[in-house]
Amino acid sequence: MSSLRGRRVFTQTNITLYLMFLPAFLFFLIFAYLPMPGILIAFADYRVSGFKKWVGLENFRYIFQLPFFWEAFGNTWRFVILRYLFTFPAPILFALLLNEVRLKAFQKTVQTVSTLPHFISWVVIAGIWSTILSPNSGYVNNVIKALGGTPIFFFSKPSLFPWLFTGISVWKEVGYSTIIYLAALAGINPELYESAVIDGAGRFKQSLYITLPGLAQTILVVFVLSFSGVLNLFEPIYVLQNQMIISTSEVLDTYTYKLGIVQAKYPLATAVGFFKSTIALVLVLAANFVSRHVTEDKQSIL
Amino acid sequence: MIQPSRSERIFQAFNFLFLGLFTLALLLPVLYVLRRSLDVGAFGETSLSLIPREPSLFYYKAVLQDRGVYQPFLNSLILTVVGTLLSIALESMAAYSLSKRDLPGNRLFIYMMVVTMMFSGGLVPSYLLIKGLGLIDKFPWVLILPSCIGAWNIFLIRNYYWSIPASLNESARIDGAQEFTIFSRIVLPLSIPVIAAIALFTGVGYWNTFFSAIIYINTPSKFTFAVKLREILALQMEMQNQFERLAVGQELLLQNLNMEGLYSAMIVISMLPIILVYPYLQKHFAKGIMVGSIKG
Repeated sequence: MSSLRGRRVFTQTNITLYLMFLPAFLFFLIFAYLPMPGILIAFADYRVSGFKKWVGLENFRYIFQLPFFWEAFGNTWRFVILRYLFTFPAPILFALLLNEVRLKAFQKTVQTVSTLPHFISWVVIAGIWSTILSPNSGYVNNVIKALGGTPIFFFSKPSLFPWLFTGISVWKEVGYSTIIYLAALAGINPELYESAVIDGAGRFKQSLYITLPGLAQTILVVFVLSFSGVLNLFEPIYVLQNQMIISTSEVLDTYTYKLGIVQAKYPLATAVGFFKSTIALVLVLAANFVSRHVTEDKQSIL
Repeated sequence: MIQPSRSERIFQAFNFLFLGLFTLALLLPVLYVLRRSLDVGAFGETSLSLIPREPSLFYYKAVLQDRGVYQPFLNSLILTVVGTLLSIALESMAAYSLSKRDLPGNRLFIYMMVVTMMFSGGLVPSYLLIKGLGLIDKFPWVLILPSCIGAWNIFLIRNYYWSIPASLNESARIDGAQEFTIFSRIVLPLSIPVIAAIALFTGVGYWNTFFSAIIYINTPSKFTFAVKLREILALQMEMQNQFERLAVGQELLLQNLNMEGLYSAMIVISMLPIILVYPYLQKHFAKGIMVGSIKG
């Protein structure tokens, strides 16, 4: 029997407990830790046949002079900015309006309907929207035709795609993201509103001085947490993408996939991926830093 | 009770109207796809009605007779059932070990998991590993094993275990029960609420499997339903682009419209399982978010 600081480690109980954790241990070791050193492929000449030699920063130098890389880089940021301008504030506004509804049955119905798209996969969402926006028989183009216009080919206009994508993202996520804000709104002390009414504050002033401050902490937490995944755009973009709108829809994730899996250019794809994760990490750390300095109790989100 | 003022009533009316219209706008695309899937009489027409003109199950029958379509559907079902059961089994066991604060190595395991929540090897290294392990095209395992355990889920389950009164475990232990018996007979049955919630979310995730399937699966008969849908969607978009580039004949237009009908039926079919479990999901997701807000 071995012992650790006088405690017996391999008692029968502990052996059982270790065995119960063993599958998870192996899982994390194999599927999470084993690929990690693979990031070094970004600094090597590595072919389908295997490792050739170390090349230092050569792969990065190469991708940084590719126009396609910078296009994907720029597009990624465009989607991020549109997300924080529209997709992020939408559920806050939605929650504020929903919270004012007195008729609980109506509130519940709106919530039930609006939350459903969150659970439907992006592929299906893409299918629904391509049907709705189809130039031949789509609902939107039928309306346009009924009004005497010419049908619009929504999914072949590069300039339209970022807006289309943002709209679909709002459509899919607004209901689900609202849940957490509604919970926070329910937690605001009703006495605050009562005293505000006595002080003569109208609806707008109540929202400004009671509701929004009450929501601020939740908004901040959601904001900071959202940074960690903000560059992960593969599935939503990839399923909506087609060759005609590639110039505004290619993002770092889809570019990595095409370089790495489709074309088997492992070092270049790994370099792009490495570049992306570095930015993502910096974003999360920066967001955490900001939240620590903005919140009253100086708490860190991470 | 304070009488609502005039401006208050106007606001309520507008809010009601706005939210009502917004909800309709959310629902409209789904209803239109449903109509499209049930209507064989929709060729080239510009009706704005949501009621099918010639209701028929033609497209559904066509879809269900096509092996290329129902095989992926069955694959997704198998994947969802096997994957969810395995994930829940492994996560609930691991969470039980981690719930024992005095188990030597406990902290180490937790750090090991937290690190994976922040860093990953990335796409290419993961792909090369799966390839090296010979798992490519091994349905359903290649779609389950690389992502079957979520560190976050383990923490959620562990936190729930902590809320179970310790006296229950103690009395079982005095009666001579072994650890695994305590876990399977006492702790697990008492944790059904959290297990059910996580199982539902995990199941939805498996049902929607897309990314890992396009990377790790090459054989069409092993595709998931989402991959099949994407394949048809890509064809569809390509066709629409052709319409824009060149004026094509009526025949291709009809073919495209017919395909849209088939495709709509597939979309409805793929949403069915989600809609079936939706009432249960809804019961849990508020709780799921609450559980998530408790720091472990």
